Amino acid sequence: MSQAPDMPRLALRDISKTYGAFAALSGVSMTVGVGEVHALLGENGAGKSTLLKILSGILPPTKGHIEVDGEALAGHSMANARRSGIAMIHQELQQVPELTVAQNMFLGRPITRGGVLLARDEMRRRAVEALARIDKDIDPDVKISTLRVAQRQIVEIARALLFEARIIAMDEPTSSLMPAEVEKLGQIIHQLAATGVSIIYVSHKLDEVRRFCHRGTVLRDGKLVGTIELADATEEQIVSMMVGRDLTHEIHPTARTEEVALEARGLTWQNRVCDVSFTLHKGEILGFAGLMGAGRTEVLHLLAGLEKPQAGEILVNGRSVRFRSVRDAIRSGIGLLPEERKKEGIVPLRSALANAGITSLDSYSPRGLINGGKLRRDVIAVFRSLQLRPFDPDKPVRLFSGGNQQKVVIARWLVAGVKVLLLDEPTRGVDVGAKGEIYRVIRDLAAAGHAIIVVSSELPEILHISDRVMVMRNGRAVAEFGRDTMSEEAIMQYAARDTRVEEAA
Amino acid sequence: MAVQGTLPMTDAKRHRLVAFNLRDAGTLFGLVAIAIVFAVLAPDFLTTHNLINILQQSSINACVAIGMTLVIISGGIDLSVGPTAALSAVLTAMLMTSGVPLPISLLAGLGVGLLCGFVNGALISFAGLQPFIVTLGTLSLYRALALIFTGGNPILGLPNGFRHVFNAYIGIVPVPVIIVAVLSVIGWLLLRKAPIGEYILAVGGNEEAARVAGVPIARTKITTYMLSGALAFIAGIILIGRLGAAEPVLGNLWELDAIAASAIGGASLMGGKGSIVGTLLGALVLGAMRNGLTLMDVQAFYQLLATGIIIIAAMLVDRFTRGRA
Repeated sequence: MSQAPDMPRLALRDISKTYGAFAALSGVSMTVGVGEVHALLGENGAGKSTLLKILSGILPPTKGHIEVDGEALAGHSMANARRSGIAMIHQELQQVPELTVAQNMFLGRPITRGGVLLARDEMRRRAVEALARIDKDIDPDVKISTLRVAQRQIVEIARALLFEARIIAMDEPTSSLMPAEVEKLGQIIHQLAATGVSIIYVSHKLDEVRRFCHRGTVLRDGKLVGTIELADATEEQIVSMMVGRDLTHEIHPTARTEEVALEARGLTWQNRVCDVSFTLHKGEILGFAGLMGAGRTEVLHLLAGLEKPQAGEILVNGRSVRFRSVRDAIRSGIGLLPEERKKEGIVPLRSALANAGITSLDSYSPRGLINGGKLRRDVIAVFRSLQLRPFDPDKPVRLFSGGNQQKVVIARWLVAGVKVLLLDEPTRGVDVGAKGEIYRVIRDLAAAGHAIIVVSSELPEILHISDRVMVMRNGRAVAEFGRDTMSEEAIMQYAARDTRVEEAA
Repeated sequence: MAVQGTLPMTDAKRHRLVAFNLRDAGTLFGLVAIAIVFAVLAPDFLTTHNLINILQQSSINACVAIGMTLVIISGGIDLSVGPTAALSAVLTAMLMTSGVPLPISLLAGLGVGLLCGFVNGALISFAGLQPFIVTLGTLSLYRALALIFTGGNPILGLPNGFRHVFNAYIGIVPVPVIIVAVLSVIGWLLLRKAPIGEYILAVGGNEEAARVAGVPIARTKITTYMLSGALAFIAGIILIGRLGAAEPVLGNLWELDAIAASAIGGASLMGGKGSIVGTLLGALVLGAMRNGLTLMDVQAFYQLLATGIIIIAAMLVDRFTRGRA
């Protein structure tokens, strides 16, 4: 699989980047061969982004240099990197939604006639050519905004080919793709590599990395840990290189009680949730498994009062409730940790304390003004039990790591005295190391009698944390597994079953 | 085991104090710098009489700006403050001059101010319209109502008792300054110590997250616009009390001065950030500058120029001193 070329396509030589006393990267060297797919691995903050920025000329290195086909880059600028054939596919695609595919592909680098008039026909023809190399189905004349993320990504890759990129760096390209789209991207990457394009692939998803990439370079705390042949490495080995210690998998005792905390009967909403029923016990962790778009997030939104069910019933402690607003759900003791932390979870400029206290203000202000001292004491006690790090309640929440921002949102619900916690992708965008800590928090809460639903797209996570798993597909609850029957195969069989077969049956 | 800080409260308090007041200290520094410049250039500037004058001249803008700041922090803007002041003030004036008892006239005017704010807030919250456009619309609408209501004529002959209140002094401090000082304390308490303040900061900082956290979004927004309307009314009353007449065109361009004071004081037009103390200092910066230039006999054109420069300079300083973490 892996080619061993004499002259690497790309070589990073002893790259360092320091900010004052802080070293974001120290002495990192790596090489990428012609047509090699090379994974860049590491936890958040390991230095991957800094390395990508240096590679694409956004940041100059403090020390070290970059060679492409044996020639050192003349200077560090984005124009220079581009001229050497380095292209970058950012996680947040940098496109103009209201322009067409072809227009976006020539954005900033138009072909002109006499330097003034745009040569539209010529640009369109070349765009079609470039697209045809990877995906003939994309219409060059439609607006970017009408395409799905996966297609927009393909446009970006085609754009890179258009300008004869020899090295394409992809930053978390599959973070918002459906499984089928991930497979397609894998094929495209394979195909590009076969034509001699070198790919640098940054992803947290180790199964993808192992399937798509030849070799991988692991960074930790800005330092090079090593480069490995991925075919020879196990996932555990890679993870332990990333985090610098072995992650142990232990089986934890369940805290499930017989008392029912929450029950859903026949919940239905638009076409996305159809007749979903389940019960949730006190002390229980119920996993919701399924593919993206299966309706799991929507069920949580119905339970949290963000949307109103069109049919069905929610019972809290055996009593039927109807939520007209989020506040109603909170009063019934239900709180949601939303899927997109930055967009729906935190108020970034406000302190951790303010973010955690916001839901409980009414009960802390009996005479109109907030009893700040008491609120502070109570929030701090919760932060302490969740082991917030750094332990600085007055620091703006945006300065905390992803995992600790999640703790702040969870703290909000604990301060509010919520008994049912709905956790939507609780470890998304959280470091490998911090994931374990989130799991510990979830287990502690269950042990303290909270009833918890965890939605996760990562099957190992679901299996690791749940007492029971409910599988959803196309808005329906299609299967349920207990501890002893749950397995990746069993869940996937229900989550991804071809719907046509089912309808025919 | 995690780092288990046994966080001393005093430390936390000091941290909070520093974090919250750094930006205000910057505005204060600007104000002091302007005062020093004028003290050198205009000998009459630093007299007690003149300083009191500056407070007096800044009080109306400060009053409007307190409300504006709350609206801006919530992520909105209120362009209709001037016409709101005019409409509520001419109504109050008309009632007073036709013999209605003073308290009832004032309450009616306050009601109009609150109603103007409610309409703004309701259109923004329930119809989902953009604050800029809604209040641009009501800017014309409320002004038109004030003009139609009065036939375009000023209402003269306000009761002497009413006029005396707003031209009186307590000690050496003019009554309007005291009124605005009290309103500032209330505004500060609302923003810093009451749930509504946290709600305003949260809604302006991230509306979607605030919703998930159970913050009453519509109630919060409507409340801020109503507070803005009420404060505009009080500013209008202070003005007509001092002049003795209520013109339907009063309050022209108040919104711009109020936005300027808020912005100089550190409020972000993106929402989520701002302070009452900062805004008061911002209003004083503008007031001190106009006063100083007038003392130096600088033409009005140049005063306008200076105002523009101050606003942009304040924003540049803000941009380049903000900690990038």
